[in-house]
Amino acid sequence: MATSSIAFSEQYNYDVIRKFTIMAMVWAAVGMLVGVYIASELAFPILNFDIPYITFGRLRPVHTGAVIFGFGGSALFATSYYIVQRTCQARLFGGVKAANFTFWGWQSIIVLAALGDVLGYSQGWEYAEMEWPIDLLIAVVWVVYGVIFIGTIMKRKEPHIYVANWFYMAFILATALLHIFHNLVIPVSLTKSYPLFAGVQDAMMQWWYGHNAVGFFLTAAFLGMMYYFVPKQAGRPVYSYRLSVVHFWAISFLYMWAGTHHLHWTAIPDWTSTLAATFSIMLLLPSWGGMINGIMTLSGAWDKLRTDPIMRFLIVALSFYGMSTFEGPMMSLKDVNALSHYTDWTVGHVHSGALGWVAMISFGSLYHMIPRLWNTTVYNEKLINVHFWLATIGILLYIVSMWISGIMQGLMWRAFDDFGNLQYSFAESVAAMHPYYAMRALGGAFFLTGMLVMCYNMTKTIRKSTAVAIGSAAVPA
Amino acid sequence: MSQDKDKTGAVTTTGHRWDDTLEEFSNPLPRWWVWTFYLSAIFTVVYWLFYPAWPVGNTYTIGIPGWNSINYTATQPDGKEVQKSTHWNMRALLAKDMNDLHAKQKQYFDKVAALPYEKVAQDAELMQFVNSAGKTLFSDNCKPCHQAGGQGKITFAPNLIDDSWMYGGSYEKIHQTLTGGRRGFMPAFKEVLSDAQITQLANYVLSLSGDLHDAKAAKAGDALFHGETAACYFCHGADGKGKVEMGSANLADKIWLWVNIPEDKTVESKVADVKNVINAGLNRGVMPNWDTRLKPEQIKLLTVYVHDSLGGGK
Repeated sequence: MATSSIAFSEQYNYDVIRKFTIMAMVWAAVGMLVGVYIASELAFPILNFDIPYITFGRLRPVHTGAVIFGFGGSALFATSYYIVQRTCQARLFGGVKAANFTFWGWQSIIVLAALGDVLGYSQGWEYAEMEWPIDLLIAVVWVVYGVIFIGTIMKRKEPHIYVANWFYMAFILATALLHIFHNLVIPVSLTKSYPLFAGVQDAMMQWWYGHNAVGFFLTAAFLGMMYYFVPKQAGRPVYSYRLSVVHFWAISFLYMWAGTHHLHWTAIPDWTSTLAATFSIMLLLPSWGGMINGIMTLSGAWDKLRTDPIMRFLIVALSFYGMSTFEGPMMSLKDVNALSHYTDWTVGHVHSGALGWVAMISFGSLYHMIPRLWNTTVYNEKLINVHFWLATIGILLYIVSMWISGIMQGLMWRAFDDFGNLQYSFAESVAAMHPYYAMRALGGAFFLTGMLVMCYNMTKTIRKSTAVAIGSAAVPA
Repeated sequence: MSQDKDKTGAVTTTGHRWDDTLEEFSNPLPRWWVWTFYLSAIFTVVYWLFYPAWPVGNTYTIGIPGWNSINYTATQPDGKEVQKSTHWNMRALLAKDMNDLHAKQKQYFDKVAALPYEKVAQDAELMQFVNSAGKTLFSDNCKPCHQAGGQGKITFAPNLIDDSWMYGGSYEKIHQTLTGGRRGFMPAFKEVLSDAQITQLANYVLSLSGDLHDAKAAKAGDALFHGETAACYFCHGADGKGKVEMGSANLADKIWLWVNIPEDKTVESKVADVKNVINAGLNRGVMPNWDTRLKPEQIKLLTVYVHDSLGGGK
């Protein structure tokens, strides 16, 4: 135990982790700002200002790209590099150059993707708008990432592979698979390509990709984060090794079947929609395995929830994870989906996962990691608590408004009067959404404000550290 | 919850340790978790018995026959109606739902189709149906241009609730407009007339509705309007009131569609706006034809709705 962070930063490559950590926070702020803006555009369309570059259609992929791949991706690179080195007792495989290549490569991908979105270059696939040259860059960066991660595991000094690393490995392998097969296109110019698959097949490929991006990028990988930072922060062993094995394999097997539930009630074969619904139902308990393991790890140390704001982030993240992985399978049932499909309920569901689970678990993990990376202490512990409450209030405003507006939309669209005529026109349902859209934008603004508090607090924390300068080699103690 | 315990009663770990402090308890799977997981698998299998579920060769399993059938009336290509019963599938469900709704609407639509316009408008009960169906038909098809209440939008689409009708406001004319669509056109005069002449014409046009204008220029414009060089009278009529047969605008009322003259405060800006129209002409007044999108009885119903419920057509 006679190790200090200084010793760690000699032993491990912390430099690349620091860079990814900073960019995770930058992209979070940027992505959430864009999110709040487009949410406001939906409530107050005048904010489009008739400028094509900032209309909802173009900024929405900027928002999803910046938060999922910019914030989420950078947080995953940072935590995976941190965890794999510390749990393998080994420096990153491939040296400093390979690790830095993944950093600069990934950041340029996010910037290029955002530029493409704003300028109107798009493949037209949700979460995969990037045209083929960027896709190729992603593939290269990702393969290097995979080699670094698996290479580090192979040269580990520990006899066993820690559970967090299995999840990160599943995430890296599945993302490579999804990205490459989904983006099979025939380029006709530098900025335009046509997909290899057409019609129903194309739609099913899109949601095989889209849903498993949620499954492996936004779930499995963040479970990896959870499996390290929850027991670390709680100072207690993981609740059940056996549960972690069983739910890992169950998730890995079941997730790949479920994507078609995004296409319920469209022109797909009925049997594909049934299979997707039932595999989503069977996915519920395996998903909950991670929640149980995380929350039960804290059993016996519940008092930490009162005293430790980082623990609050982690545990509330697990609660939202449990809630949205319950909601998802319910929404995948044909009859529930008939009400929820195409409504804001879906948007609320995604955000209870994205804000409640992905962002909250990342905040907790980053708050744990940053002082250790810079060998310092948090500038202001109280501000972590402020961030926690702003974020929690923001999420609640967001998902409650989307539940109300989504269910209202669903009910209005299917309402018939006694004559057998539709009771409401589509435009009436749009008008009815207005107050909830304003409330959603407000919820987003709360969440963004919390993020800015974090940026301030962590900037001060990093500035406080004199031992290590950003980007420099490790400084001897 | 049961936990593996050693002789002292403490829970044991797997014995591995990472990063100084990370360990794992060797607790068994929570029993409720295991049983709920089995339950979800049982639910899944039962679900498969009710719906098409697994591909087999070129076809797929349909569940247990009779457990989740859909009975509906299908219309064959020769127009004959047959009763059908099939395993659950989206197409049949849609057909059944649409049949049920059409059955409710049919008696009213039949009445609308059979009665003359005036009779429909006088039948209070039938008008309830016209208003119910008309509201949604209007909102989903007409509202994007003519706005929520049919009030139109200046520079974009005509008002349907005033008494001014470019193409005529009788039932027959409205029906014709809906069925075949309309296309307004005014030629550009930039190449034909001098700027001074166009200014004179603009002043005359403004004088027709008693708006701000230069009297001297208007007088010269009067001559141009009725002369053969500009020949405005040919479409807009000698009195400037327009011709319903060709949809030419009435210039003598205070209703403006393509330029927002009421909004202009000065004579200069009013003249400039009218000049723009005379200079460039108009090729924007396009209303699409709805006969390829709506059924004849829907168009007839919309005709009555626009004529009587929106308050136009007098």
